[in-house]
Amino acid sequence: MTPDDMTQSIHETPVPTGAANGRPRAGVVRARAAAGTRLTDLFSALPWIGPALILIFGVVLFPAVVMIYNSTRDISLSGVDKGSVGFENYETLFAFAPLGGIMVRTVIWVFAVVTIAVLASLALAQFLNKAFPGRQIVRMAVLIPWAASVVMTTLVVYYGLEGYIGIINKFLVDINLIDAPYGWTKNATSAFVWSIGIAVFVSLPFTTYTILAGLATVPADVLEAAKMDGAGRIRTYVAIVLPQLRGALSVAVLINIINVFNSLPILKIMTGSIPGYDADTVMTMIFKYIQNEHKIDVASALSVIAFLIVIVIVAIYVKLVKPMKEL
Amino acid sequence: MKKSLRMGGIVATAALAAVSLAGCGFGGGTASDGADGKATTLNLLVPSYSDNTQGLWETVIKDFEAANKDITVELEVQSWDNLNDVVTTKVQGNKAPDIMNGGPFAGFAADELLYPIEDVVSADTLGDFQDSFVESASVDGVQYGAPLLASARALFVNEDLLAQAGVTKVPATWDELLAAATKVSKIGGGVAGYGLPLGSEEAQAESAIWFYGAGGGFGDATEITVDTPENLKGAEFIQKMVEAGATQPDAGATDRSPLMDVFVQGKIGMIIGLPPTVGQIADGNPEMKYSVNPIPTMDGKPFTLGVADHLMAFQNDGKKQAAITKFLDFFYSADQYVPWVTAEKFLPTTKSGSSAMDSNEDLLPFLEMLPDAQFYPSTNPKWDATNAAFKSLVGQLAQGKDAQAVLSEIQAKADAG
Repeated sequence: MTPDDMTQSIHETPVPTGAANGRPRAGVVRARAAAGTRLTDLFSALPWIGPALILIFGVVLFPAVVMIYNSTRDISLSGVDKGSVGFENYETLFAFAPLGGIMVRTVIWVFAVVTIAVLASLALAQFLNKAFPGRQIVRMAVLIPWAASVVMTTLVVYYGLEGYIGIINKFLVDINLIDAPYGWTKNATSAFVWSIGIAVFVSLPFTTYTILAGLATVPADVLEAAKMDGAGRIRTYVAIVLPQLRGALSVAVLINIINVFNSLPILKIMTGSIPGYDADTVMTMIFKYIQNEHKIDVASALSVIAFLIVIVIVAIYVKLVKPMKEL
Repeated sequence: MKKSLRMGGIVATAALAAVSLAGCGFGGGTASDGADGKATTLNLLVPSYSDNTQGLWETVIKDFEAANKDITVELEVQSWDNLNDVVTTKVQGNKAPDIMNGGPFAGFAADELLYPIEDVVSADTLGDFQDSFVESASVDGVQYGAPLLASARALFVNEDLLAQAGVTKVPATWDELLAAATKVSKIGGGVAGYGLPLGSEEAQAESAIWFYGAGGGFGDATEITVDTPENLKGAEFIQKMVEAGATQPDAGATDRSPLMDVFVQGKIGMIIGLPPTVGQIADGNPEMKYSVNPIPTMDGKPFTLGVADHLMAFQNDGKKQAAITKFLDFFYSADQYVPWVTAEKFLPTTKSGSSAMDSNEDLLPFLEMLPDAQFYPSTNPKWDATNAAFKSLVGQLAQGKDAQAVLSEIQAKADAG
């Protein structure tokens, strides 16, 4: 028997490996065996987690590494890699004066869209949770913004706001709210506000359904007990329902933050023709670097910064709200 | 033993996945090269000029393949919006097309990716290109682009609107243009005198109309000059037009294509248009009475903005030169080229094509303007940055930002490259 076989048998004899009871319990061998057993556990788990790992490496880590790598290269307009430039692309970015405004606008964009979407969804979900005739139909209707393509939804609004043929513009003129058609999508502030509106609209279905699922888990007896104790409707909602919704809400908020931060099409369509950088967020700026200026390297640098911002936001959020924690 | 087998399988799977992933992103071209007499495949990447583009190229390719059994041509059609991203990605992955139809090519030439055009066309084809296009197809005296088609701009005038506003003469100078456009705008009901598309889509073209019209311009192959006294006059007159209400509202954020639709609908007095605009009016509003006129300039001296697109040939591994030459010579022969360029409603760039199309009345006003055409300095390596700066910044002129500040901002972005 070689020493190797020896160790092998020590592991295997007292502790039969298996999915259910593969952990060592014997006191004497514990210290020596622990390290080896954890490794064997990992190996035996690999066939199950392997595909997921490959996917994570291939789809998540590999592109991220390429992105970070590209951000330190000098890539010509035609896409030829001219070698390393260190952090020059980042310096170019930080020397770009409108970047501050772009960052501030990104924060406003994410905060406004997520807040309004969640508040509206809370109300909507509460409504859809009640039993009323035709509830199924209304529930299905709420799904429509989700089922429709974001680009299509945005284009409908965009053409509605068009100065010459826009039906929304015409309506606003007809009810005397404005004297003449206004270039809603041609001025930075109004285009940005309309974009927030569209983003809220397309975020509603997912958020509402997540909260609706949360509402379904609120036990009826708890609500009944609250009623018995004489709690009013508002009190019941704030003290009983909301805390129960914590899990659903925190997931909805987290996913919405990431989604909205990374959202390009709405702003691209609504603010695309506006000169200057007064309606840009980080995402539209990345797009402008690629599409207009063909600077893949600088765009990669900005993507890395965006990536870091999302990670930091998510980290803070997870730390504060602990969405994974069970109540 | 069993366990180690399983491990081996896992490692192999992981390795395979990693390799195939790497293959997706960074693999080299695997198309057959044909150096040893086997079939050669040419990859042709073209943008879409119209709904006909794909069909037109397919016809050319079918005829070509029938005449050259040993060469097959793979066609890829992309929208203009995507063309640049697509080719950049291909170049990054060492999968550049063999022949590409595109706009600016100075970047590719600077990276030494292209064949000089004399290496991939016969002397006859080379001599047939009109001289005026050769210069703008060359970098440092070497011609890299084969001029494919050209367009020139002209002032499209809605005669009905001008008559209604009491304007009797089509304006030839800026002052006349301002006066006429202001009158047309006064008709009211959403009618605008002059359509000024300074939105990002093609802001550089409208800027060129005014800057070159003031005697300025964008510079040449070695230097970009945006911040000049002449251009400042042009920029200030743009602002004057906007302030006088002679243009449509929100000119700084109005894109060209949607504004052209408004002109076709008969709501704009005057606008700068292209040869395809003739077809657009014929399709959309054939009753409209319009005329095609020279572009008004500061002093009335004739000028037009010419744009030529090119075919360029990528070197890749250098084994397809003979096949590329065969294809380009075949394409530029009059019986292939003339139907192609006629169907796309653009202007020909070859001498034989030009004389064959002399009788085309729609295109005649444009053909006459071509000798006065000015071109973008697209062979300047900094042109792409300049172009981008115009697209994103020049619209601020119409939003009341100081003209000098806008020019300085664009110049700075252009210089930064």
